[in-house]
Amino acid sequence: MRGFLNQLYKFAEILAMAALCLIAGMVFAQVAGRVFDGALGLFGQSPYGFLIPSLAEIAGFLLVAASFLALAGSMRAGEQIRVTLALGRLPARSRLIVEIAVLAIAVLLTGYFFFYAVQFVLQSHRYNEVSYGIIPIPLFIPQAAMAAGIGIFTVSLLDDLICAVSGGETSYGKADAEKSANVHGAGEL
Amino acid sequence: MELLPLSIMLGAVMLVLLASGLWVALSLMAAGVLAVYLTISAPPGAVMATTVWGSVNSWDLAALPMFIWMGEILFRTRLAEDMFAGLAPWMQRLPGRLLHVNILGCAIFAAVSGSSAATTATIGRMALPELEKRGYDQRMAIGSLAGSGTLGLLIPPSIILIVYGAATEQSIARLFIAGVLPGIMLAVLFMGYTVVWSLINRGRMPAADPRIPYLKRLWETRRLFPVLALISGVIGSIYAGFASPTEAAVVGVVLALFLAWSTGTLSRSAFVDALRGASRTSAMIVLILAGASVLTVAMGYTGIPRALAQFIAEQQYSPYALLAALTVFFVVLGCFLDGISIVVLTASIILPMIEAAGLDIIWFGIYLVLVVEMSQITPPVGFNLFVIQGMTGHNILKVAAMTLPFFFLMIVAVGLIIAFPQLALWLPETMLAR
Repeated sequence: MRGFLNQLYKFAEILAMAALCLIAGMVFAQVAGRVFDGALGLFGQSPYGFLIPSLAEIAGFLLVAASFLALAGSMRAGEQIRVTLALGRLPARSRLIVEIAVLAIAVLLTGYFFFYAVQFVLQSHRYNEVSYGIIPIPLFIPQAAMAAGIGIFTVSLLDDLICAVSGGETSYGKADAEKSANVHGAGEL
Repeated sequence: MELLPLSIMLGAVMLVLLASGLWVALSLMAAGVLAVYLTISAPPGAVMATTVWGSVNSWDLAALPMFIWMGEILFRTRLAEDMFAGLAPWMQRLPGRLLHVNILGCAIFAAVSGSSAATTATIGRMALPELEKRGYDQRMAIGSLAGSGTLGLLIPPSIILIVYGAATEQSIARLFIAGVLPGIMLAVLFMGYTVVWSLINRGRMPAADPRIPYLKRLWETRRLFPVLALISGVIGSIYAGFASPTEAAVVGVVLALFLAWSTGTLSRSAFVDALRGASRTSAMIVLILAGASVLTVAMGYTGIPRALAQFIAEQQYSPYALLAALTVFFVVLGCFLDGISIVVLTASIILPMIEAAGLDIIWFGIYLVLVVEMSQITPPVGFNLFVIQGMTGHNILKVAAMTLPFFFLMIVAVGLIIAFPQLALWLPETMLAR
């Protein structure tokens, strides 16, 4: 089970990273095409007119996929921001109780969000909603990526909740402890 | 429900959730869901799904992970070492000497990275040990580092300005360009203070290093030129209208990769680490934006921001009085919350009030970021202070005391952009239309 979950988080994160690479690759190809056309223009040639259709829309969809699929990994790496000022001053026992309560709220909220995100996808699918651009992309595809990301995020939070209840250390707690052991600033704001 | 009890209740819920350590993004979302539940009959979950989808599915927002990625790549190169070696020889004649390396190094790194903690850590890792070795005053070394580290927020590309632009539906390109002059102004204020301080406290300055001939200095600086070219290329192409921020960011990523590759620091693991770091950080910020968008829509249903705006309009406060009150409010808030959370909360709740008071939204973004910068160096929650605490082992309050003069300089900067709004607004007006 542990192994499967870790694979799941890792897989989602790899998909998110791939989506970022795709955005960069496509946008760069488009910019390069424009620069190439500009260069042709300097020599009096007519532009080649390289165009990635619906680029802006596709980039938006990929951003959705990248952002939501990375959620579980980002939470488990301790990247998600929270206010620990009050929490840190509590004695260990009450601290654990608050931590469990907070995780339970988080699981409920993201689970609720997941349920409606799935409804949202099913609805787009039923009414065949497509994007407005040159290439009509069925909206349920990127929306499904969002729902999947929230689903995996919920699973990860539940995972941490079970960890906390059974007296273990949460994934983000572990990551935070490692981080303060070797301070490095990148990736924090 | 009546407006006043509703506002008090929502505020209290949000406060309790935040204080108990629920993640900021989820706290915003929870407060939003509750507000929708209390005011309209539609299921809050449906509102939430549509709103979040609409706010994240955005071409402009794609600039966010790209700029973070660019910073992550450059963070893993030898940029910091090059920065010190390249800048130090030029500072020997200026009173305050190598202290200025802190400020200029931060300003330059800020122009490739959107984060102030990353800026502080990168420059500090290199500069603090060097300054200590040469016997510079520790208070000034640490204070100037913490102060100028915050330049990462104001000098474009700025992550927090992208967040503000996305949350308020303003042009990110204009916001970036608006941040340039105030950022330079702040760096000049810091340098001016350092000059004055070192002239007064001559006894506390170590002896100068031997002078290095001009050509040798240029040679030492050679590795900085590609970075300077990268910066001017990215910001220049946005200013000139050649590229949208997203396109400029992607070109920045590709050039940063090229730079890393050509200096031999682009290993496979460095590439993956940078990409993973960018993906995690941007997921964190995007979730906060998503939470804020739910809260914003919910607030629209409750009518609280409208009522606030109306109240402010009726009171006929002068904008100065309003801004003075807001500055105090934000500084207090900044003691407990991080900058991005402050920005999205502002966008959700008090933006209509700002519009009612007749303030320019772009200008207000710059003002807000400047005030938020101050929150990076105020205890008990100040990310720059944490970074320096980790690096030097000094207690966070001690670091904050060393940084205090720079905090006051930032208040001066806030006063200046309130008195002369054109500092922020002039450059965007001259931008080529796009």
